Amino acid sequence: MPQFLEFLRFELKLRAKSPSTYVYFLMWFAFSFFCVASESFGPVGNSNGKVLLNGPYANTLNFTLAGLFGVIVVAAIFGTSALRDFQRDTFQIVFTKPVGRLAYLGGRWTGSFITTVFAFSGLLAGTWLGTFAPWADRTRIGPNHLAFYLQPFLTITVVQIFYLGALFFAVAALTRRIVVVYVQGVALFMAYLVGLTAFSATRSLEHFWSGILDPVGLLMVDRVTRYWTVVERNARLLPLDLSGYSPGVFLYNRLLWLAVGVLALVVVVVRFPFSVEALAARTQGRRAARQRELDAAEGASRRDRPATLPEVHPVYGAATTLAQYRSLTRLRLRTILRDVPFWALVGLLVVFAINNGHFAGRVGGVNVWPVTYLMLSAVEGAAMLFFLIVAALYAAELLWRERDVRFDGIHDALPMPEWVDWSARFTAIVLVEAMLLAITLLVGVFMQALDGFHRFEIAHYLKELYLVAFPQVIGFALFAMFVQSLVSNKFVGHAIVIGVFVLQSVLFNFGWENTLYLPGAVPAFTYSDMNGYGHFVPALAGALVYWTAVFAFLGIVSIAYARRGPEESLAARTRAALARAPRLAPAAGACLAVAAGVGGWYYYNAHVLNEYLTANDRRRIAADYERAFKRYENLPQPKITAVDVSVDLDPPHRSFHGSGSFTLVNKADAPIAEIHLTDAHQTVSNVRFDRPARLVSRAARDIYSIYRLDTPLAPGESVRLRFDVAHVTRGFTDGQEPAEFAGNGTFFDMEWFPVIGYDANLEIDDPRRRREQGLGDLEDMAPRGDAVHSRINLFTTQSDWISYHTVVSTTTDQIPVAPGYPLRDWTANGRHYVEYGMGPTPILDFFAYLSARYAVKRATADGPEGPISLEVYYDPAHPYNVDEMLEASRDGLAYFQSVYSPYQFRQYRILEFPRYRTFAQSFPNTVPFSEGIGFITRLKDPKDVDLTYFVTAHELAHQWWAHQLVGGEVEGSNMMSETLAQYSAYELMQRKHGKDYMRRVLRHFLDRYLRGRAGEVRRERPLALVQREAYVWYEKGGQIMYTLADTIGVDRVNAALHDFLMQYRYANAQGTTEQPYPDTRQLEAALRAHTPPEYQYLIDDGFDRIVLYDNKALSAVAKRRADGKYVVTLEVQARKVQADGNGNERPMPLDDVIEIGVFKGAGDEEVPLDLHRERMTAEHATYTVVVDEKPTRAGIDPYNKLIDRIADDNVVDVTE
Amino acid sequence: MALVIKGLSKTYPNGVRALDDLSLTVGNHLFGLLGPNGAGKSSLMRTIATLQDPDAGSIELDGLDVLANKNEVRKLLGYLPQEFGVYPKISALDLLDHLAVLKGVTARGERKEMVEALLHQTNLWEARKKALATYSGGMRQRFGIAQALLANPKLIIVDEPTAGLDPAERNRFLNLLAAIGRRVTVILSTHIVDDVRELCPRMAIIASGRVLLEGAPADALAALEGRIWSRVVASDAELEALKAELDVVSSHLVGGEHEVRVFAQGSPGAGFAPAPAGLEDVYFLELARHGRR
Repeated sequence: MPQFLEFLRFELKLRAKSPSTYVYFLMWFAFSFFCVASESFGPVGNSNGKVLLNGPYANTLNFTLAGLFGVIVVAAIFGTSALRDFQRDTFQIVFTKPVGRLAYLGGRWTGSFITTVFAFSGLLAGTWLGTFAPWADRTRIGPNHLAFYLQPFLTITVVQIFYLGALFFAVAALTRRIVVVYVQGVALFMAYLVGLTAFSATRSLEHFWSGILDPVGLLMVDRVTRYWTVVERNARLLPLDLSGYSPGVFLYNRLLWLAVGVLALVVVVVRFPFSVEALAARTQGRRAARQRELDAAEGASRRDRPATLPEVHPVYGAATTLAQYRSLTRLRLRTILRDVPFWALVGLLVVFAINNGHFAGRVGGVNVWPVTYLMLSAVEGAAMLFFLIVAALYAAELLWRERDVRFDGIHDALPMPEWVDWSARFTAIVLVEAMLLAITLLVGVFMQALDGFHRFEIAHYLKELYLVAFPQVIGFALFAMFVQSLVSNKFVGHAIVIGVFVLQSVLFNFGWENTLYLPGAVPAFTYSDMNGYGHFVPALAGALVYWTAVFAFLGIVSIAYARRGPEESLAARTRAALARAPRLAPAAGACLAVAAGVGGWYYYNAHVLNEYLTANDRRRIAADYERAFKRYENLPQPKITAVDVSVDLDPPHRSFHGSGSFTLVNKADAPIAEIHLTDAHQTVSNVRFDRPARLVSRAARDIYSIYRLDTPLAPGESVRLRFDVAHVTRGFTDGQEPAEFAGNGTFFDMEWFPVIGYDANLEIDDPRRRREQGLGDLEDMAPRGDAVHSRINLFTTQSDWISYHTVVSTTTDQIPVAPGYPLRDWTANGRHYVEYGMGPTPILDFFAYLSARYAVKRATADGPEGPISLEVYYDPAHPYNVDEMLEASRDGLAYFQSVYSPYQFRQYRILEFPRYRTFAQSFPNTVPFSEGIGFITRLKDPKDVDLTYFVTAHELAHQWWAHQLVGGEVEGSNMMSETLAQYSAYELMQRKHGKDYMRRVLRHFLDRYLRGRAGEVRRERPLALVQREAYVWYEKGGQIMYTLADTIGVDRVNAALHDFLMQYRYANAQGTTEQPYPDTRQLEAALRAHTPPEYQYLIDDGFDRIVLYDNKALSAVAKRRADGKYVVTLEVQARKVQADGNGNERPMPLDDVIEIGVFKGAGDEEVPLDLHRERMTAEHATYTVVVDEKPTRAGIDPYNKLIDRIADDNVVDVTE
Repeated sequence: MALVIKGLSKTYPNGVRALDDLSLTVGNHLFGLLGPNGAGKSSLMRTIATLQDPDAGSIELDGLDVLANKNEVRKLLGYLPQEFGVYPKISALDLLDHLAVLKGVTARGERKEMVEALLHQTNLWEARKKALATYSGGMRQRFGIAQALLANPKLIIVDEPTAGLDPAERNRFLNLLAAIGRRVTVILSTHIVDDVRELCPRMAIIASGRVLLEGAPADALAALEGRIWSRVVASDAELEALKAELDVVSSHLVGGEHEVRVFAQGSPGAGFAPAPAGLEDVYFLELARHGRR
């Protein structure tokens, strides 16, 4: 014991003297401090706006994240402790003394443990102090509870220090190799990241073993808290018992890893060779052999020779300079290429790139073709960090090389100019980086080939890697060389380089977004197969050249400051630098001139030609707009009844010019004297009315203008508004290019035209940003039946239904498209014109203009007045799913017409647009569909959710649920389009793939609903009262409707929908006075009318409440009967709770019909033997089912048709 | 070649005065630089080797201002620093070849000839392909000598070159240096007085950055002729007593007894016998005088 205490005391004393201990502490302190003190820093602050930054969930997540990076700290502390006596060769002294094994190892280990716990306690201090930061957002800081700090710290941080410390200590003590000590922490860190990305990419919903086996805990925390609502996240700690939605995962995980730690300690105590003899043995192996050889060489015969040397004739000149440069470059290159850590980094790079490349063909859980931009972003994304690490690491290694190996005395007195020596070091880094890029390229191509994709775009690879990534990496290397030339210590240099690198993204988050002063920054850009690098090229090239020139200048400064001789003081080195300056000045001047020239040009484009606005500026504009004009929101305005526009698109210049007219009708019951216009994009000019009017008010940026009619517009009277409209792209912006305009793939909508009155769509909806701007909470939508808002169209508040006519032109190589039927198609003045009209069919005031070099594939379907033309306009490089889109359209048209109502148009078109935006949107008979979704999806596995078919069906269904039936601008109305489109797509999918297939679809969408509600920033609403909660109107709504149809019969639901549609479609399409639009009360009534009494509760629960089930199969036992049949006794449990909008739950009485199933076949591939519904009135029930074949699985609600947070425990294995 | 050093002064940032108005003239010969640790030898040699600038003073090499034309001087220079390391994972052959290129020996044949000759001269031929980092201290020192002699330097500065060499190697090196030193300027610093006596036509003793004595070793010895007396004393007390009374140059242990050498114009007393003066006596005497000043 006294020995143990002596070793412990010694270890602690050493650690207390070491600055690194305090650096670690400060690091954790700063991390957790900013996680609380800033909403723009940590993972919690940046996401959900209602989760407390010092709450139990935030602390748990932050501490776990710290644990991930802490792996390296733990390795450093414990590893060096285990190895200390071997590194300093003191083991011969220690082990020849009567030292106890336990005392020695135990003392060392315990000392390291205490030190590490101290270092990590910076997390507690930082979090706590962060809550007092005066600038912090008080609404996100709750009262400090000791348990919220201590429980995560003890159960996550301390446990992790324990077992990782034990593991690293054991490995270090047993191998006694310094390289192992340094590598093991990094290796585990990297391996964990690889595993994590690999697992996340599979989008597996498995949440038991993945949570338990997770050594660091990020997956575990996600698994346990995945479906926690805000209330739970602010009140609950990870449960150390068997409660919660992932019962026992946390407890088992901790026990498992504690056991691993104990095991590691036992192993090291038992196996540690505790004798000098065993430890000093080095008589074998390659190293010993080499030493013997060398000893022999040293003692070799010494023949005496005459003491003369041959004559040589040194020459100095350009040729020699070149030879020197080459020889030095070879030497530097060899330094890197013979370095073991370098190859370790290359190995990791390849592993990461292969891993990411393997998942390049999976986007959002869907298989897609691994097109080059996806593969590049996968492999380059994985490799970029390594490019930068290699740049920073070897910039330092090469610059400090002579000092590190103490060859500087000889090297510095050699006759070559500093710039030759410097250039050789720089060249070596450049060559090595070029090699790494080539490796990345090869991995990408290889992974594409492996995934069966053979359209290799080497030119695209070369552009992205060598023209975009390479300059950034080289710039970073130059910067690192600059820093390393100035600092007096390599590690200080590394700290500065990393600091500047990290600072960049932090500064960006805090609103410092200017590319011209964020070192090495490039403006945001997106490659698109349709549009290539397109319009991003000038800004990107400008930024790359600008920063390369700036960094090259710093490189030249670094030549001036090149070390030569023992002088270290900055003053002396500055004197030397000034002495060298005259020779370097021309090059430095050239760099500065390029930087100033290109920077000036960039500035002119981004700040002079275009208004430079940061994200915060744009929010301020929106906030000002809301503050100034919200009062006009309910001001009666005339409604648009007709739109006639002609638009000339100029895709090469990303511009358009047009003019048009809106016919406005006063549908209110009082005269209207003022017409208000919102012009969010500054596109509108030359506004005039066909009666005398004058401009009485305008706002900054022309965002809001008020015109007064000399004679007010009487009720029922109409006025024609004429306007010019244009968007002209001038030069480029600093990463703020509107996604709407592209050389190939223009797509913009009615938002770029005048909007009548106040546009609530411009309001900021993120509560965090609203608070920042001093705005109150976002206004709730009006209740159903509201006198004003019931009469306003949900989607197009400025109109009810319109007639639409347009002429659009573009360049001759492109096809211009707008909603409507092509009436005329001609070429004139070198432009391609098409006139589109909608005929007599009224449409929503919802139109868009598209233009691209399209390939077109056509088909037909049957319609009420003859064939319906089906068309897909796609990029020739993306032919993969065109037939599937046509098939889904044809199937959908047939089905929806048979159950809902006739299709109102004669055509249905899908058009691809660049992936700058990723959505599909249903305009009248026209559906723009992003190239990023759908056009490259790939059905690899019959089990995959067929997303192309699904999205196509969903958008098609909107032609009924939106373009025929639209609700008023009140709560709930959104679900009448989205939920019903979702439901329609579900039913179409089921018709194609069958009921069993739907289980996977339901599981996929159930997870999204539950995660959506967990991330709710305001509060969740019941389906019939939904406001802005997309996860409610898509995922929950679809599931509720599907389950209702599955329970009462799809025909009943469809009949109800048909009745509802026929009664309420085209509300307000006729007449000049406003009637209320339908709302969810009428939809519910229609459904109730077709629902048998015993199932009415499904509508109560589904539409009017937030209801969650906890269904679980407890056991299933099968007995074989004499007649060969099996009797299955199934014991199940069902619970039901109702939640409020914040997630507070209370139990509900159970009187529900729930499905019971018995299956054969393996888990996940079950085939039903018996499937029927039972009415459950108590929490527990036992059912007996007789089936013909031997059953393997059985359970309650096996297809997850009910909303249940633990979906996995519904089915269990059948025992005998 | 003639190296003229005038008024060289250097004070380091930590306050140490390494060179103090030091002036020397070195001709085309081997010049020995003697001095205790910290005397400023290495600072002086680094300054001549263009690695650091003095605060004041000038150095001229055949009229060439060394401080202003460093790169010109480097082309003529062979320098062996007192302490040096080597790159890991590179052989003596490869590194010598690399250094020869840097020193302007770009003709492949000449370079090969020179590198091989040096490897033989320094007896590293057998180990030439072995990684330098695995060399013993002596081998590494020999490598250092080899690289300093690459490319027929006209000015050779070797800082304690014989440290770590065994007597045979030391002899070989000194012979080589003597052969070369007939044509070029060689500055050799050491604390081994014998090195200087055997090799150097001229020498200087420095301490505290100042020259205590400059001249030919023979002249210095002549000045002491007949003035060095020696005696053996048995006890420490006796030795201390002598030190208090007389100008004791040095004392060595010989067979357990102290042999005391004393500087005196005439016999300092009973038991003293005249002894032949050695360069070591010059050295100690100069240092002792300097210490008293």
